[in-house]
Amino acid sequence: MTNGTGKGMAGRRDGVFEREPARRVFAQELKESRVHFKEGQDEKSPSYILLPTGARCNRVFFAGTLTEKKKQGEQNMFYRARVVDPTGTFFVMAGSYQPEAMQQVARLEPPCFVAVVGKPNVYQTPDGAVLISIRCESITQVDKDIRDQWVLDCAKATLDRIETSAGTPDGERARKEYNIDPGLFRKMVYEALAQLKI
Amino acid sequence: MDFSHTAERISQKITSHGHPVEKSGIEAKLRRLVDEFGVPPAEAERTVLNELAREFGLPVSQGGGSGGAVEQKSLAALANGEWVTVECKVVALTASPSPAIAQTGIVADESAAVRFVVWSRANAPHLDEGKWYRFESAVVDEYRGMLNLKVHSGTTIREVSHEGSLRPKITPVAGLAPGVACVRGKVVQEWEATHDRILQSGMIADESGAVRFVLWKEEGLERLNPGRVYTIYYATVDDFNGRLSLTLNTATVVPEEGDIDVNTGSESFQGAFVHLAPGSGLVRRCPVEGCNRVLSRQNYCPVHEIQSRYHYDLRIKGWLDNGEETREILVSRAQTEGLVGMSLDQARELAENNPLGMDEVFLRFREALVGRYLLCRGRQIDNRLLVSTCEILHYQPEQLADLLNRAGGSL
Repeated sequence: MTNGTGKGMAGRRDGVFEREPARRVFAQELKESRVHFKEGQDEKSPSYILLPTGARCNRVFFAGTLTEKKKQGEQNMFYRARVVDPTGTFFVMAGSYQPEAMQQVARLEPPCFVAVVGKPNVYQTPDGAVLISIRCESITQVDKDIRDQWVLDCAKATLDRIETSAGTPDGERARKEYNIDPGLFRKMVYEALAQLKI
Repeated sequence: MDFSHTAERISQKITSHGHPVEKSGIEAKLRRLVDEFGVPPAEAERTVLNELAREFGLPVSQGGGSGGAVEQKSLAALANGEWVTVECKVVALTASPSPAIAQTGIVADESAAVRFVVWSRANAPHLDEGKWYRFESAVVDEYRGMLNLKVHSGTTIREVSHEGSLRPKITPVAGLAPGVACVRGKVVQEWEATHDRILQSGMIADESGAVRFVLWKEEGLERLNPGRVYTIYYATVDDFNGRLSLTLNTATVVPEEGDIDVNTGSESFQGAFVHLAPGSGLVRRCPVEGCNRVLSRQNYCPVHEIQSRYHYDLRIKGWLDNGEETREILVSRAQTEGLVGMSLDQARELAENNPLGMDEVFLRFREALVGRYLLCRGRQIDNRLLVSTCEILHYQPEQLADLLNRAGGSL
């Protein structure tokens, strides 16, 4: 930076907090994800999972039906909950590090519609299977109107990713890592939408 | 080697301060230094000049009069770290912030304007506002992203006459960068002072955008009138944590007749409400006139300390998220009441009759808002949207048909 008029935009954003967006992902696509990585060396650097449709994902937002909740653990109590969308099941966890979310889960009575904000985690079981669970930041009871809006929102976001990720670095990486026919996700979207009433 | 020219130059410099000196003596000293001691001529000139200057108690001058000639530049062409010679007009003088600084202010030429600093140790002549000067061998450096012209003991300053008047270049607000700029804009907002030393702060907007401004308390300065258009000559543009701000203390502010169409930064953002931030719900505000800050739980105002006679307010602070981008939103009471379906009075009643107090209002807000799709409009400052209108979005069946076509189109 040698010239007062040549200030790039790069420096402008320094110090301004940018929140990681919450991706809209159907349960079926999330279940296929297994690649996870961290951007930067810092302890606080965000970590991401790579979605098969070609986008990095640090956070998710979804709406669905809470079908089951289970309290587990003695000293480190936590809740496990299952939230279902038109394509599959999200596994939601709320532990003592998320006391507010835990209290929210405690008050919910399944079955009900819920909106969840949380961070995806990738686990590998001893037999090599990969599991994705959502560490819950917030879970609130919502109505069907919001659930249906989310299905439209998620369908649109998924189609957008399928159509625009080709050629982007994350898109190329997803294509190499997963090698899944995008037509499969297109079909998933179609079937999810078909469950809504016109 | 002929030293008569150099001796003449030195003689003139000293004589101009009212101390006639013998040229022949100077010449002899120069010759001795160069011929006997192998000193480079430029250094010899400097040595002799300084010696004489000290002898007569004159400000010690700098490196060889003719030797260290640096290229004359326009202010727009300055770059960090350069030694430069410039001719420019002192367009503003500001109070010196420290005894180490003799004078500070802004100089301008046709191309640009920069801040300048004259160190006390430079022993430089006093500069007058409105006059043109030639600065030889000044140094350009960068402080907080803006260039500065530094006048040190090696700089020569001489008043020069200048033809024609200086026509300052007006910069559109959207094109501002750290440094010094002239702006023509309207005061669109006035904020409560966040600090004792602030006389006024707010937003100035023109056709291209809006920027904050601040006026620090200083003798003889007056507040700007909200709604009025001003031409502001030579304000300092500071970069504060990535946000630009105009400091008007250096500026000449001229009120203008008429009005301009301002771009108040009206923006809209649609997305899911994903996080309700602390400080939302029922809040208590500081009663001190012009403060209005939200008090902490212990009724503590960061400026006015403990306040027992607060007033209540409702607000929403939180994040909207469309899956690709996020936007922090700040919703004031009128919109908040509509969104949450709770009036300020109802919220106070709820807080008074509930063991959790104000937290209960926060929890109700969270249940009512998180997960909802909202469309907010308002003024955007950096990544924050100050919401003026907000609506709850609903399921739209016609979107379903479109999406089904899109998904099924290439099955």
